[in-house]
Amino acid sequence: MPYLDGYVGVANYLELLGDGRFWSSLAVSLIYTATTVVLQVVIGLALALLVMEMKRGEALFRFVAILPVVLSPAVVGMVWRTFMLAPEFGVVDYLAISAGLGSRNWLGDPTLALVSVIVIHTWQWTPFAFMVLLASLTALPEDIYEAARLDRANAWARFRRITLPLLRPAIVMVVIMRTMVALTAFAAIFTVTGGGPGTATEILNLYAYRKSFTELSMGYGSALAVALLALTVAISLVLFLVRRAR
Amino acid sequence: MSARALRRSLGAAVSLAFMAAWAFPILWSVLNSFKTEQDILAFPPKLLFAPTLAAYRDVLFGSASILPNLWSSFVISAGTTIVTMAVAIPAAYALARLRVPGKRFAGFYILASQMLPPVGIIIPYFLILRNIGWLDTYQGIILIYLSFSLPFAIWLLVSYFEDVPLEMEEAAALDGASPLKTLWRVIMPQVQGGIAVTVVFVFLNAWNEFLFAVVLSGNTVRPVTVAMFNFVSVEQTLWAKLAAVSVLAMLPVIALGVAAQKHIVKGLTIGAVKGGGRR
Repeated sequence: MPYLDGYVGVANYLELLGDGRFWSSLAVSLIYTATTVVLQVVIGLALALLVMEMKRGEALFRFVAILPVVLSPAVVGMVWRTFMLAPEFGVVDYLAISAGLGSRNWLGDPTLALVSVIVIHTWQWTPFAFMVLLASLTALPEDIYEAARLDRANAWARFRRITLPLLRPAIVMVVIMRTMVALTAFAAIFTVTGGGPGTATEILNLYAYRKSFTELSMGYGSALAVALLALTVAISLVLFLVRRAR
Repeated sequence: MSARALRRSLGAAVSLAFMAAWAFPILWSVLNSFKTEQDILAFPPKLLFAPTLAAYRDVLFGSASILPNLWSSFVISAGTTIVTMAVAIPAAYALARLRVPGKRFAGFYILASQMLPPVGIIIPYFLILRNIGWLDTYQGIILIYLSFSLPFAIWLLVSYFEDVPLEMEEAAALDGASPLKTLWRVIMPQVQGGIAVTVVFVFLNAWNEFLFAVVLSGNTVRPVTVAMFNFVSVEQTLWAKLAAVSVLAMLPVIALGVAAQKHIVKGLTIGAVKGGGRR
């Protein structure tokens, strides 16, 4: 049976367990996903609340928020890598120099590189959380707030006791959607750092890609991809359980 | 100033700062695309400069023109959108209305397919396309794009079809209209909005796709997102040209995004309510 030629059983998966690069890419994936999702939801929600309070200018905010979301992550990555983060020529580096921090190698230093790709992902996708949460906020019933005001509940109590519980389904949904995307993110890291320096920004997704297509060992690359699939399914199961729980 | 007014203006300032942060990288790329190489590399960064169209002239009509890549991107995106809609509309209608065997399973399958990490399926796709000689072809790339755009489109459309009142179809059936005719004449006008939302998202996702494009494209069919890499190499970055190409790659999706702003917000919100959606 020719299709069984070169069949190695579970050898690839056994290799996985002892592969330090696999565990480090798993850690990078989890850090990348957790930080970007939390940042998107917190900033998105805060901005949505601020914009709700504003008397005018909401249309402008909606307009600007559309821009990053429709762009290709590959183009976004390229623009950040060059015009924003390049040492000296990049605007971020210029700001750092002006602020007296000195020129930094934003994509060459392992920690800064990871921070950079997290910031880029957050930059592109926070408008998504912002738009969804703003739409959900606008749809909340006004009379509950009236009643709360009559009861002299302060702003923080209104937020904690009314807004947050009512918004919970939307927030959980945003978290689920953004987690799926962050776990399988590829283009924005591939274009900015390619996973480097070394393996500092190599998320599991990128490791599977490099193994398969750069180092041309597709069998092991497939095993990595299956590991990523298992991780995605496990995390989404947990999130869907959270969504169902009340 | 009262505490309340102070808080309000502080809030406005913070939100304006975030707005500026979102717009700036895009605006800066546009500015850079009208600069000369020297002006881009000037320190401190130049806000005032003599604008030139040289970068655009080079990337559009120079020796390494980006036009074929823009065309590739367009053919892939338009082709994917057309085929997707032609299949997704009847499929979504069937799932919303007809007694199809395995309907529940199909619904689950469609949602589950949205969760697959693309890198997990790219290897078999690559091998299949290589075996049938479809690597680096339009039909190959469009076929693979259908694998993510079709489930997404069906899933988005089903909710719109479910919202159409059943009475309308019953009335059409009493008048002797066939199911297909009912779909075309009675239902379609009701779901125009949903179709617009779906078209926008399918087109955007196809235009912006990168991982599949990198692996499955080649010298004949290379979308602009991949071709952009020609301007950045280990030895040197062609800054002005890269800026012009970035702007050209952004232009169609931003134009579509601004024109279809309402649809996009709506699509995102439906996604948030129902769950799912790619990217």
